[in-house]
Amino acid sequence: MANFNIDAKKNMVYDAIVIGSGISGGWAAKELCEKGLKTLVLERGRIVEHVVDYPTMNLDPWDTELRGGLTPEEKKKHYKNIRSGWVNRENEHFWADDAANPYTESKPFLWLRGHQMGGKSLLWGKQTYRWSDLDFEANAKDGNGVDWPIRYKDIEPWYTYVEKFAGISGEALGLPQLPDSHFLPPMELNCVEKHVKNRIEKEFKSRHMIIGRVAHLTQPHNGRGQCQNRNRCDRGCPYGAYFSSNAVTLPPANATGNLTIRPYSIVQSLIYDNKKEKVTGVRIIDSETNDTIEYHSKIVFVNASTLSTTQILMNSKSSRFENGLGNDSGELGHNLMDHTYRVGAMGKVDGFDDMYYKGRRPNGIYIPRYVNIDEDSKSDKFVRGFGFQGGGFRGGNPANIESFGADFKDSILKPGPWEFFITGFAECLPYHDNQVTLNTNVLDKWGQPTLSIDAEFKANEKALNKQIQEDAVEMLQKTGLKDIHGFDNEHPPGYGVHEMGTARMGRDPKTSVLNGFNQVHAAKNVFVTDGACMTSSSCVNPSLTYMALTARAANHAVSELKKLNL
Amino acid sequence: MDRRKAIQRTGQLAVTTLLMPSMLSLFQSCQKENRLDWQPEFLKEEEAKTISALVDLILPRTETPGALDVKVDVFIDKVIAQTYDAAEQENIRKEIAGFNADCEKTFGNIFIDLNKADQTKILQEAETTSGKINPGVWGTSIGEQKPVGFYRSMKSMAIWAYFTSEEIGEKVLNYDPVPGIYDPCKPLSEIGNRWSL
Repeated sequence: MANFNIDAKKNMVYDAIVIGSGISGGWAAKELCEKGLKTLVLERGRIVEHVVDYPTMNLDPWDTELRGGLTPEEKKKHYKNIRSGWVNRENEHFWADDAANPYTESKPFLWLRGHQMGGKSLLWGKQTYRWSDLDFEANAKDGNGVDWPIRYKDIEPWYTYVEKFAGISGEALGLPQLPDSHFLPPMELNCVEKHVKNRIEKEFKSRHMIIGRVAHLTQPHNGRGQCQNRNRCDRGCPYGAYFSSNAVTLPPANATGNLTIRPYSIVQSLIYDNKKEKVTGVRIIDSETNDTIEYHSKIVFVNASTLSTTQILMNSKSSRFENGLGNDSGELGHNLMDHTYRVGAMGKVDGFDDMYYKGRRPNGIYIPRYVNIDEDSKSDKFVRGFGFQGGGFRGGNPANIESFGADFKDSILKPGPWEFFITGFAECLPYHDNQVTLNTNVLDKWGQPTLSIDAEFKANEKALNKQIQEDAVEMLQKTGLKDIHGFDNEHPPGYGVHEMGTARMGRDPKTSVLNGFNQVHAAKNVFVTDGACMTSSSCVNPSLTYMALTARAANHAVSELKKLNL
Repeated sequence: MDRRKAIQRTGQLAVTTLLMPSMLSLFQSCQKENRLDWQPEFLKEEEAKTISALVDLILPRTETPGALDVKVDVFIDKVIAQTYDAAEQENIRKEIAGFNADCEKTFGNIFIDLNKADQTKILQEAETTSGKINPGVWGTSIGEQKPVGFYRSMKSMAIWAYFTSEEIGEKVLNYDPVPGIYDPCKPLSEIGNRWSL
């Protein structure tokens, strides 16, 4: 199919440059190309063409010699990634090489990266939820961080716009704290999940349990096929049933004829022109030849992923910006956030042993935030809130059964007991001292300074996690589950893979890096629309918001270009 | 493309299955002479025989194939050889030695030289003294996983190797690589065994 134009030698000047091709970069490329801008996408890694470059998409465990196992060499290459529990033989090629791309954990932090066309859009969890004014007003109301320069009404049309194109399945609830999207039909809850839902909603007024809202197609949409319930998403989907840049945004960008994508392009810095008072281009290092090359454009979208975006801005030093591009406020690199992760409860469910399911639904349940949403639900222990993901399934570990031999073997051919778990995602406040800095003592393979990450969850997040575990255990108890285990793995930030902040939006250039349209305050032809731009973290998965902010910013960029304002 | 390959391979497997009885009798006669009929990549002969005897006792042949029928022992050796680093390999060697030392202490012989009744007693004891594997959420255990010891981890590896073998994964368990729909509530009687994938 696509045949991407990767010949960036012919042309060194473009209307727009987009750095990165993940969830937000793919959207920027699509919007800018469709609006007629000659656009260069700079991709750090290799080209990954939809379907063609998904070598493991149909492999069964017995098709590979080690059935998913990794060799010591592969484990070394992913010695940090592997802590996530996500890396296996079938998706190993979509995770960045930790050894070649070092970072320093001043405090424990897991930084998961995808260095290829499509970035982490090939690996993400597909959970897609709108944020609400509960989120956009939070900083202003409780005084943490700075006020968002936008409100729900500003982003609502753009949620609608990206949802209709991406295809989001889910159930409408009409909750103000979790606004409904434009939904394709929802995936279905299994019998145990329906049972738990009924009990939770009966026992707890104002709590709801729904099937996850996800960027998986439940019916054919815009030429893409619907989900076949294989749950092999992280190898690339042959049907294009989940949202990835590779399947969804880059093909239409390419179809305009306006897209050039240059692989193996590590962005070294943005080029700032003192006289013009704007950025005129991007300096890259070709990761294969080590050549330094400069490309020029009218506007630049920085979508390298939260921390890589900030790393590029910090490394873009000039006489005007001695401490990094757009860092007049001193906030660049600060206010790093992530959601807390793997805190909740699990239990066994009696009474459904004669029921099973067919298919491997790549989705679970969601319990929207119910604390601190109004006066009645106000907590005196913490600000902000949390939501839960989870699910019911036939699990158990046959190795734990205290038996062996003929009867044991025959018994484990049958499905195990029903289990159900919920795990919370809590909002993290924006703390100035949760930060990244450029580390010139540790250089990468290309001689570039790397990042030191110095971030931690603090008292408010710990109080939220305590409440998450208590509530999770209580909900499972009142639902009648047995053998309930509460848990808190006390993961440091990064495990949620929702890293946000470090180049925040704000109303005041003195305290923020970006304005209300994601433009660098002091270099308005530079746009940052990935997780770096986030002013607070909500407790809700952020990717849909990145998509909407990107489409909105691209629209603004083109309109400003037309008015000759950039 | 890959489906096609898989179908071809399934065809080959059918041939293998037809040959199985004679191969199995060959294997059993070898076992009587206490020799391995395969060349381990990492394990020494006595260690390999220990693993073979252990997984055979945990997952014996019934109406369905047993661990040895689907080469669980061969695969475990391969996993240790190719996915363990040097320290982990040394450790598994120590654990097998420790397991045999316990057998000698209790019954005066290493595991493979015990009669079946005594081997069974050893495993019954190991079941009650070994730790349990924590449940997991999204690829990682919940809470702090304490070491479970040689027996439980080997049993766990044997079950994994058994379920992910082509014979069990495609023919004994319910194999459905492309389910198409998700049917959320289906009577177990209409499905039978657990899904293999």
